[in-house]
Amino acid sequence: MSDVLIILFGTMMLYVFAASRIEAFIKTLALQGLLLFLLVIIDIHEIVWINIAFLVLETLIIKAIAIPWFLLRTIRRNEIGREVEPYLSQFYSLIIASAIFVFAFVAAFWAARIEADIKPLYFGVSISMIIASLFLIVTRKRIITHILCFMMLENGIFLLSLSVANEMPMLVDLGVLLDLFVGVFLLVIFFNKIQSMYDGSHIDVLTALKD
Amino acid sequence: MFAIPVIVPVIMAVLVLFVPRLLVSRIALLSSAALILLYSAGVWCNWLPADAPQWLDGYFKLDAVGLLFLLIMSVVFAASAVYSLSYVKEHNLSARRQSFYTAAMLLFVAAMSGVILSNHLALLWVFVEATTLSSAVLINFEKNKSALEAAWKYVFICSVGIALAFVGIIILSMGSRAVGTLFFDDLYAGAALINPFWLKMAFAFILVGFGTKIGVAPIHAWLPDAHSEAPSPVSALLSGTLLNTALLGLIRVQKILLQAGLDDYSNNLILIVGFLSMFISAVFMMNIKNYKRMLAYSSIENMGILFIGLTMGSGGLFAAMLHTAAHSFTKAALFLTSGNIFTLYNSKRISDVHGLLRREPLTGWLWIFSALAIIGLPPFPIFISKFLLIKAFFENGSGWLSLPFFLIIVFVMFGMMRAVFTIAFNESGGGVSAAGRRLDVPAYLPQLCLLALLLGIGVSIPEHVRLLLQQAAGFLP
Repeated sequence: MSDVLIILFGTMMLYVFAASRIEAFIKTLALQGLLLFLLVIIDIHEIVWINIAFLVLETLIIKAIAIPWFLLRTIRRNEIGREVEPYLSQFYSLIIASAIFVFAFVAAFWAARIEADIKPLYFGVSISMIIASLFLIVTRKRIITHILCFMMLENGIFLLSLSVANEMPMLVDLGVLLDLFVGVFLLVIFFNKIQSMYDGSHIDVLTALKD
Repeated sequence: MFAIPVIVPVIMAVLVLFVPRLLVSRIALLSSAALILLYSAGVWCNWLPADAPQWLDGYFKLDAVGLLFLLIMSVVFAASAVYSLSYVKEHNLSARRQSFYTAAMLLFVAAMSGVILSNHLALLWVFVEATTLSSAVLINFEKNKSALEAAWKYVFICSVGIALAFVGIIILSMGSRAVGTLFFDDLYAGAALINPFWLKMAFAFILVGFGTKIGVAPIHAWLPDAHSEAPSPVSALLSGTLLNTALLGLIRVQKILLQAGLDDYSNNLILIVGFLSMFISAVFMMNIKNYKRMLAYSSIENMGILFIGLTMGSGGLFAAMLHTAAHSFTKAALFLTSGNIFTLYNSKRISDVHGLLRREPLTGWLWIFSALAIIGLPPFPIFISKFLLIKAFFENGSGWLSLPFFLIIVFVMFGMMRAVFTIAFNESGGGVSAAGRRLDVPAYLPQLCLLALLLGIGVSIPEHVRLLLQQAAGFLP
C-alpha cells in the first residue's frame, strides 16, 4: 500500500515538471502533503497520542492545508497565472526529470546493497525529489515558483526522514516544523513586497546588487 | 543562570514588541547585552557555574569552545547594541520601528546563543535556521529596493543551503544507527561505529549547508549583498558573530569525522574550500567599488583563513581560534565605522567618499586603524594569528601552502588599503570643504573599545586569554 502511495508521490513530481500553471503546482503540493500524511499513518506502529497529533499537525494541517491555502491566496491576489517562459522548455525538463529519476534509483538500489536497512523506493523517490526541486529552482524564472520548489524540496526531505527508522526527538521535530513554517511565511511576505515594489516578479528584476 | 543567553533576549524581545516605547527598547537592548556579557565573563572567570541544569536533558551544554564563541558574540553584541543608540537617532526611527528593530536583533542574538549552546546536532540545525529568519527582517530593515533584493537572496539561498544540511543530518542518522542518537557526546563516543560511507556523504552535505551560512566560496553569493544592505550595527553582528556561530556548527561536526579517523577526507574538503574563498575574495577585492561590499569580501577571505586553520593540526587550531576572535572584533569595528561614513556622506560608493580625515578626523582614524588591524599589521592580533598559521603550515609538512597563502593575502591587502586610503586621504572630489559634524558618543565608543581590546590581545596575549584559546583549540583532537 505504501509503495503505491510513494509511486504516486513520485509521479506528481513529473507532473510538476510538465505543468505550467502555478495553481496546479500548488494543488500538487497540497496533494503531496496529503500523501505524506497517509504514509505516516500507515507506517505508524505504536499508538502514542501526542505523536500522532503532532504528525497530523505537521503533514495534514500545515503541509496539506495551511501553506497551500496561503500560497493560493497570494497568487490569486497577485493575479499570477502561468510560469513565464522558463530557461528550459517543458519537453527538455521532462527528459531531465526522467534522467534524475533513473540516477536516483540507481543510487538508491546501490545504497541498499551497502546498508540493508534502506528502503530503495523511499530513498530513490526522495533523492530524486530533492535533486529535481533544486533543478527547477535553477531553471524557472518566477519568484513564486522558487518558493513552491522550496516547499517541494522540504517534502522530499520529509520523505527521506521517513525512510530513516532513527527518529528525531519530538522537541527537535517541533523546531524544524516551526522553522519551515516561519520560513515560508517570510518568503511569501518578501514575495509580496517584491511584487509591489517592482513591476514584475521574475528573478530578472533582482539584479541590482552585483560586482 | 545557564539559560540567560537564550531566554533573556527572547523575554526582552516580547516585552519590547508589546510595549513599543523608545525608552523600553533602549533599556531592553542594553540590559540584554550587559547580562549576556556579564554571564559569559562570569563563566570565563569561574564565578558562575558552566554546567547545564538537569532538566535540559543534555540538549544544551557550554564547553570551552562554546565559551570562546559566546564571549566573542557577547562582546560584538554589546558593541553593536551601544552603536544602535546612534543609528536609531541618526535615522529618526519612530518608536514602533525602533521596537521592531530591537526585537528582531534580540531574537537574532537568542538564536545565535542557541547555536552556541546546542549539544544536539538537529537542535543546532533548528537554531541555525532561526538565525536566518530573524536576521532577514533586519537586512530588509531600510525597506528600499536593494535591501529587499539582498534580504530575498539571503533568506532563499540560506534556506535552501540549510535544507541541504538537514539532508546531511538525516544521512548521518542513517549511518549512525549503532549510536542511536544525534547528541554530540554520543556521536563522538561512537564515531568508530558510524558507517564511514554515510559519514562522508553526510559531511559533504553539512559542509555545503553550514558553508552557505558561513559564507565561504562558492556558496557566498548572499554575503556581500546582505552585509552591504543591512544597517551597520546589523552588518557588524552578521559578520562578527553569525558567520562564527555557523562555523562552530561545522567544527562540531568535523570532530565526528576526526574521531572516526577520516581526517584526510574532511581536511582536504575544508582546505580546498578555504583556499577557494580566499582566492575569490582577492579577485573581487581588486576592483571594488562599494566600501561595505569590500568589508564583506574581507569576511569571506577571513572565513577562508579560518577554514585553512582548522585543518592544520593543533598549531593551526590555536591560530584559527585567535583569528576568530580577532576577526570578529576588528570586522565589527570596521562595519560600525562604515556606518559613520554612510551617515556623513550618504553613499556606499567609494568614489563618492573623499577626504574623510579632513571632514571627520575621529571616524577617519578609526577607519584607518581598524583597516590596518584587519589586514594584519603588527601589533594587531590578526598578524599573530596569520603568523602562527604559516608556522603551522611548516609544522604540518605542507610549507609550500604558505606561498599561495601569502600571495593572496598581499593581493587582498593591496586592494583593501587602496580603497581605505582613497576614502581617508583623497581630496580630489568635490564638496570636501565643509567640515563634518560630530556624531554622538555611541558612534565612536564601541570601536574605540574594540580597538583597545585588540591592542591588549595583540601586544601581549594575557595568560587568561591564551588559556581560553588553548582549551578551545583542544576541542578538536
